[in-house]
Amino acid sequence: MAKELVGILGINQDRLRLEWVSSAEGARFAELATEFTEQIKKLGPSRLKQAA
Amino acid sequence: MAEIAELIQMTNTHFCLDCGVCTGSCPVARVFSDFSPRQIIEKCLYGIEDLSDENIWNCLTCAQCSVRCPANINFPEFIRLMRDEAYSKGYSGTLTHNGMLHTIWSLQTKGITQNRTFWIGDGKTSEKGDVFYFVGCRPYFDVIFRDINAGSIENCKNILKILNASGIEPVVSNDERCCGHDALWNGDEETFKKLAEINIEIIKASGAKKVVFNCPEGYLTFRDFYPRYFGDLGFEPVHIIDFLTEKIADGALELSEFPEVVTYHDPCRLGRLSGIFDPPRELIKSIPGIELREMPRSRENSVCCGTSGWINCSNCSKEIQVQRLSEASATGASTLVTACPKCQIHFRCAKSAFDLDIEIVDLYDLISEHLK
Repeated sequence: MAKELVGILGINQDRLRLEWVSSAEGARFAELATEFTEQIKKLGPSRLKQAA
Repeated sequence: MAEIAELIQMTNTHFCLDCGVCTGSCPVARVFSDFSPRQIIEKCLYGIEDLSDENIWNCLTCAQCSVRCPANINFPEFIRLMRDEAYSKGYSGTLTHNGMLHTIWSLQTKGITQNRTFWIGDGKTSEKGDVFYFVGCRPYFDVIFRDINAGSIENCKNILKILNASGIEPVVSNDERCCGHDALWNGDEETFKKLAEINIEIIKASGAKKVVFNCPEGYLTFRDFYPRYFGDLGFEPVHIIDFLTEKIADGALELSEFPEVVTYHDPCRLGRLSGIFDPPRELIKSIPGIELREMPRSRENSVCCGTSGWINCSNCSKEIQVQRLSEASATGASTLVTACPKCQIHFRCAKSAFDLDIEIVDLYDLISEHLK
């Protein structure tokens, strides 16, 4: 649902990611965070920073 | 507190006679005895009310109290101004749906390019023209309330169908924002103003002279609040109901038979706040074969759908909704007709939570389905 709403708002859906990581999966959490950070960096600054 | 003392002067709340008609009329007070408009006013007058009081956010702003107040105190407006003050000090109501709707309208104040016209399909619209159809929050509701089958975008398709059938191809803008009604009633005046400014600019750029609404909140906000903040808008807000009643009276639109017993729920923004009581009833009765039965609490005495502004939805809201739906069933009607997207969402939520045996239908969906 969040992805769909983000899509209607015109925000790139790649900027949103939902993952379920348990407290026992530290390595996986770090991996996902790094990967997502890289992805966001590639996308560059969001247009949301600009005023309407 | 000084701020509250100023608000009392601004709104003539010191005219309060302490009669208690407000609390006696209040749908919240009936269920939740800790809430009392009278007590809020008295505490304010005695200088012992505090902006941290959570009860400021429990008011439905439905105006049931103010239409009966012998001193003409506009309690919803007083509450709204109190919320402005409280919000500026960092207080807020309890946001429903995890604040999703608040996030959406906040993001809409930014430089986004939405994808909100996906629903138009083979409906006919224009880039520029005299008539602008203000869609409102439906493209978002369509997603958010899908699980309770309550916010469907079909309603907008039906409005467009009605407009097209009348020979109108309205402007539908992808840049339209939330009208700001809920931000305004949440005490967030700044966000309201930003949203309103964008909407006014977009409508002016479309060249529209008339803006058509089916959502009573949008209509009321444009009609009463936009001019208060921005003066003459240069276009006229029109409710679809006035347009429809005229088209049906002229014979331009004809309706097919629907042999059902229905009852009608007056939304507070359409009835008490906009003063539109008869047109929806006339419209229902214009469907051949239909029988309209009134509930005991109707017109000025209609009860609110239980929650407003996406804050403080509680078991009190549910109780109000269940009582209202029982009242509707007791008339013998199979269907409750509403004329507000939010009334529909709130009643369908209660219907699905309590498995109640009554249909809840939007007035314009009903009309559209019976267009010949």
